[in-house]
Amino acid sequence: MAVVTADMVAELSATGASCRLDETATPRFSVGDHIVVRNINPPGHTRMPRYVRGKRGVVQRDHGVFIFPDTNAHAQGEKPQHVYSVRFTPSELWGGDASDRDSIYIDMWDDYMDLQG
Amino acid sequence: MNGVHDLGGMHGMGPIDPEANEPVFHDEWERRVFGVVIATFGGGNYDVDQFRHAIELMGAANYLSTSYYEHWLHMVETLMVENGTITRDELDAEQAKLAKEAA
Repeated sequence: MAVVTADMVAELSATGASCRLDETATPRFSVGDHIVVRNINPPGHTRMPRYVRGKRGVVQRDHGVFIFPDTNAHAQGEKPQHVYSVRFTPSELWGGDASDRDSIYIDMWDDYMDLQG
Repeated sequence: MNGVHDLGGMHGMGPIDPEANEPVFHDEWERRVFGVVIATFGGGNYDVDQFRHAIELMGAANYLSTSYYEHWLHMVETLMVENGTITRDELDAEQAKLAKEAA
């Protein structure tokens, strides 16, 4: 059985384990890109909330390269790819009655989105 | 998966009621679950994506009626049985023994 040693505990407790990868991957998007979220409904793991599927947003920031949870959770590989902070408006997510004084920022992997056509 | 864990946008869950002066752990067993998870997760027995998915696979009624660290306990039991570190029989036997001691 793998073990954890005492010197590992403080960092683990404080930060968890980062899924950032020290690898390069070609980003599919740039800051400012207008994207539409893929309407995927995988039976397995995904980090994409249901309420953004099919919605339109704008890429605000590129966080770098991370493990792709949807494959990694099922021993299908790390599939390294960029993760972005994407801004959605409340009216896009919840309809015309929602206040557009707010913004919703969601971390999105390359495989979750396409450019608006 | 479109599980009950994906609560964003749902109505009817009641108010969010932050606890004043919330303690890190509400009971000694929560502290122990945290320790078991740090030891097994930090030791590389599973990764965070397996961790999250194991909790998503809890039955919907069970998920909604159990607490945060009960979700963690379900996860660590599920994954340590799946990866063969312990067997379901060993887990059941130990739980039965503890229940008997506590009775």
